[in-house]
Amino acid sequence: MIRGDSQKLDGKMVTEPEVKGMLPDETLEACARQIIVNYFHEMMSYKEGAKEGVDIEFVHEMRVTSRRLRAAMDNFADCFPKKPFKKYYKMVRAITRTMGAVRDLDVLIAHFRNELTSLTEVEQTDIRGLIEHLQREHKEARQPMLMLFEELEEADFETEFLEFFVGEDF
Amino acid sequence: MAKAHKVIGVEPLESYRENARVILPQRLEEVYTWEPFIRDETRREELHNMRISIKRLRYTMEIFRVAYQDGSQQTAVNIYTEFLAMIVDLQEILGDIHDADVVLAVLADYVSQLGNGERQIAVLPGIVRLIARTEMTRSVDYETFLEKWDQFSAAGFKQKLLSLFSATCELKTRYS
Repeated sequence: MIRGDSQKLDGKMVTEPEVKGMLPDETLEACARQIIVNYFHEMMSYKEGAKEGVDIEFVHEMRVTSRRLRAAMDNFADCFPKKPFKKYYKMVRAITRTMGAVRDLDVLIAHFRNELTSLTEVEQTDIRGLIEHLQREHKEARQPMLMLFEELEEADFETEFLEFFVGEDF
Repeated sequence: MAKAHKVIGVEPLESYRENARVILPQRLEEVYTWEPFIRDETRREELHNMRISIKRLRYTMEIFRVAYQDGSQQTAVNIYTEFLAMIVDLQEILGDIHDADVVLAVLADYVSQLGNGERQIAVLPGIVRLIARTEMTRSVDYETFLEKWDQFSAAGFKQKLLSLFSATCELKTRYS
């Protein structure tokens, strides 16, 4: 149907990021670092496209990858010092949330547009009104996302995050 | 939305494979904490939380897939992939139910913002039509979900999955 956080939209699947060269007999900590760093790179690779806002898939991909990253962090929390880990976890959660608000509206607008074809002219008028209303909300919902991106850039979040999770060799 | 359950017994300096056996069953148990609520279709929040837990299990299984990719155990790899597909299936149908709940909430919210509540809705035929259609879709999706859940349960889904999760250590013992 519409799904704001699903794996598909218009038949496109978001595939799981591949973590190359990971050996299951390595320590969990070593693998956790690899996975988190890999997912983080994947997530951030969609940022510019999400900022642009031309193709809604960028927001979708960034949100899904942020969820995968959080799932990994939930599983591997014990591998890292608690306090800094919590700080980075909260940041990733903030990314998921702000992206979520935009994505939910993207898919709702798409859903109601699809419904239009099956309605009478009179019924369509109501739904067009609703779509316009959602488009205004969408514009507003992009602002916290853009502000968060700005904050992350100012705080050099990307470098800090990688320094922490890559470890000494970064 | 419910937070992820804290996993216990994780050993950062033990192997990834060993920890898969510790973490995966806990993610599966998290899914089952929502099972008592699924017979009541009005428990929207709990159904949504079950979907989130299923998604968490799915992502965790994807993360640990490599621990079950022993070249000599192709059957285990295939079974793992089959279970993942079943989990995606459950996630999708619960997602459809949640989508319907979101659409219904948006439609109701839109009507209330226009003012006049029930009197207003009577003069919004498009909204009335979509509410009726979405309610029907949700009802069908909910029945599909229950059928699927019952079918999986009857086939011993949980026990089989738990056995599969513990198999990674057997693989290591046998083949290392």
